[in-house]
Amino acid sequence: MAFRKKNRREFIRAAGATGLAIGVAGCSSNGDGNGNGVSGAEELGEQIRELNFVVPTSGVNQFRNELANMVAANWREIGIDVDFEELDFSAHVDKAVVQQDFDASLLGWGGTPERIDPHTFIYDMHHSDNMGEGGRNTPGYSNPEYDELAELQVTQPDEEERQQTVYEAQEIIARDQPRAYIANEGGIHPYASGRITGIEPTLGEGLNSFWNMISVEPLEGDTVTMGYPSEIISLNPMQDLATPDRQFVRLIYDQLFRIGTDGLPTPWAAADEPEIEDGGRTYTVEIRDGMTFHDGEDLTIDDVEFTYNLYADSPTYGSLVDVIGEIETSGNEITFHLEEEYAPFVANVLGQVYLFPEHIWGDVEPEELSDFEDENWVGSGPFMFEDWERQSELQLRAFDDHFNPPNTERFIRIPGSDVAQQFGALESGSIDFIGAIPQPTALARIDEDDDLDGADFEDIGYVKIAYNMRREPFDNVNFRRALSYCVPKTEYVDFVRDGMGTVTHSTISEHNEFWHNPDVEEFDEDLDAARAELEEGGFGWDDDGALHFGADQ
Amino acid sequence: MGLREYVIRRLLQLVVTFWAFFTLLFVLFRLVPGDPTSMFILDGMTPEQREQRIAELGLDQPLHVQYVEYISQLLTGDFGQSFIYREPVIDIIIVRFMNTIVLMGTALFFAYLIGLTFGALMGWWRGSKFERGGIVVTLAARSSPEFWVGIVLLSVFVFWLGWFPSGGMRTTGGELGGGFLARYGSTDFLRHLFLPALTGAIVFMATPTLLMRNTMLDVLNADFIEIKKAEGLPERTVLYRHAARNSVLPIVTVMAIATGAAMGGSVVIETVFNWPGMGREMVRAVNSNDYPVAMAAFFLMGSVVIIMNFLADLAYVYLDPRVEYE
Repeated sequence: MAFRKKNRREFIRAAGATGLAIGVAGCSSNGDGNGNGVSGAEELGEQIRELNFVVPTSGVNQFRNELANMVAANWREIGIDVDFEELDFSAHVDKAVVQQDFDASLLGWGGTPERIDPHTFIYDMHHSDNMGEGGRNTPGYSNPEYDELAELQVTQPDEEERQQTVYEAQEIIARDQPRAYIANEGGIHPYASGRITGIEPTLGEGLNSFWNMISVEPLEGDTVTMGYPSEIISLNPMQDLATPDRQFVRLIYDQLFRIGTDGLPTPWAAADEPEIEDGGRTYTVEIRDGMTFHDGEDLTIDDVEFTYNLYADSPTYGSLVDVIGEIETSGNEITFHLEEEYAPFVANVLGQVYLFPEHIWGDVEPEELSDFEDENWVGSGPFMFEDWERQSELQLRAFDDHFNPPNTERFIRIPGSDVAQQFGALESGSIDFIGAIPQPTALARIDEDDDLDGADFEDIGYVKIAYNMRREPFDNVNFRRALSYCVPKTEYVDFVRDGMGTVTHSTISEHNEFWHNPDVEEFDEDLDAARAELEEGGFGWDDDGALHFGADQ
Repeated sequence: MGLREYVIRRLLQLVVTFWAFFTLLFVLFRLVPGDPTSMFILDGMTPEQREQRIAELGLDQPLHVQYVEYISQLLTGDFGQSFIYREPVIDIIIVRFMNTIVLMGTALFFAYLIGLTFGALMGWWRGSKFERGGIVVTLAARSSPEFWVGIVLLSVFVFWLGWFPSGGMRTTGGELGGGFLARYGSTDFLRHLFLPALTGAIVFMATPTLLMRNTMLDVLNADFIEIKKAEGLPERTVLYRHAARNSVLPIVTVMAIATGAAMGGSVVIETVFNWPGMGREMVRAVNSNDYPVAMAAFFLMGSVVIIMNFLADLAYVYLDPRVEYE
């Protein structure tokens, strides 16, 4: 498999299609062993050990598997032995994120709407507090200068000031390369333009977005049917949920704010923008008048207060509302006093907490919350739960009393185990859109079929390679930078992904316009630059081209 | 040894087989890297949430403690709760198991009905064009991968002719749930059943056909067939009552094993036709480290194999009085 991929790559190179400086790669070595006149350290130390590179199998993600093969070939090219370890998703996450037993790991990081606020990408993924087992700082990046910025941005309610801090943080990360930031993997979600209209793909979510599900409309009949290649786990907002679950829970349950199509939190069950006082430590929100739950009961300010207390008691989600100290209500208003300034409060708390009916959840003990089965899943959202049989279908119905009712009377979700099968169902007319990127051959079929179309979307999440900085030689910044110069980002997006997505060099996507710093250092594939970095870092090559530490390292 | 002792001894063997089977399952699943929280980590589960969940599930206990707990739970007939869905395993499995039984049962029924008849005729008309053509067809069916047969049927009957739906078990948007008849008795269900069952029938058909033909050839050379023919019995009677019946013995064993394997659901057929059966559920459970569901699914499938083998042994005794209890 690897052999075939390498050949394909060489073919692309020979065709001169990439336009990158690639002529050097693949030349035979001369006297200095590395092929381009860079000599490296004069006296060599130990040879760089074989690196363990953990990557997804092609069954899990064929695009990323191909990318990993290309990267490994380049690493070998600059004199590093690579132990290429292909793993299934859960084994990969266990090894790379939980056990942190890897040298380099190629994984994706999803771009869900709440991550449009830069907090997750800046603080959670790179602050040294989060480098423990299962933490999001998988490389173990620890830089006090950086930590200070990551902490500062949380306390800056002024967006311009916060933007400046986030910009600086991005520059430091780009310089230090704890990870190679490779590409925002936008894509295409197929839909039947002959049967539905009003589609609204959004950043990071495509047709799975909340806004799409309430705006999509059948051209005939009253039902829109969507396909997704896996089943959802639960509709209980208090359970551990994966992204596909949240995409449905939020149709049934409202929040005070929702992340809008522009990526910013917009008032939803809240009547207006929050009133922020006390230097960003007090938020007051007024709720809309006349909201009801699906069972006809009024949604009152008491339900909102109950909800936030319920979250505080929840063993699973308590940490989400940790920052809230006290809550007060008055009339139709609720006031949150925060323990400390928390700039992403609206997006990451008010936009995440689902509103619960007290008359149903009021008697549930905290430890029972995640196992509680409300048979009718009563919320106040634009869709009502109708029926569900796992692996078969989930049926929702429009809640006509909602202040923003959906455009389809019924909404059905069909889970599958294979996107190719679902694409067949789309072609044969039994589903109307798919919330997943189809197999490469399907793209041509979309072009040929007048009834089908593809909804393009961009992503703020990305695929990246984490370097385990707890280990030698990844603690050496030149070594990491050299490895990043070996990642063919453009080739990955243009050829492997057939143009779907964009190359990135920063932890904040260029599609997240306000927060993205366009001037960070860039690492395009350049093996000469990689060798120069290694030389600067004091590494050297033996006569066989194998990379060594310098004797004085 | 009498029949009663034989059955008792075989039953005791069954118990040991079962114990070895689920102990092996238990250990295998625990050895697989990852745990039931792995799939949530990239979606935002924090290290504290993860630890708490692992403790809730008892996965922080030593392996032998987990093992003893699992076995004692199983002895009370309780498969436990799904680690991911947080619902009783039996509720999750039972519907999928029924869906699979209906699909695979139909496929096997037609595979063996057609296979036995076809195989018997091929043996009877040895050397004819019918036999030669039959062997080619059977071998072609036997060598075709399930997914390929499924995709060919889909291309012809769904995408080209538009006669059947592309997948699922019923037309979407209707009433869900219901009793056995409501689920499996409608013409809508039969339309959805046709192609996946046909795929299964084509794939399963080759084994009984070839086996039946071969044993028929042996039986036809036996003296008693000549005698029956000499008695002037009609050809049909000799074929069905004497030759075919005596050839059916090895088929019983193969059928028992095939039934067992089929009950696990064919992952491939269920995937190609999006059939909500055991195979798909098993793959999901294994991928997400949902041990209780995965174990129960393998347990059910293995149990059918073990029990079917047991029944095959008993059936031998009935079908062929020369078989002795040993």
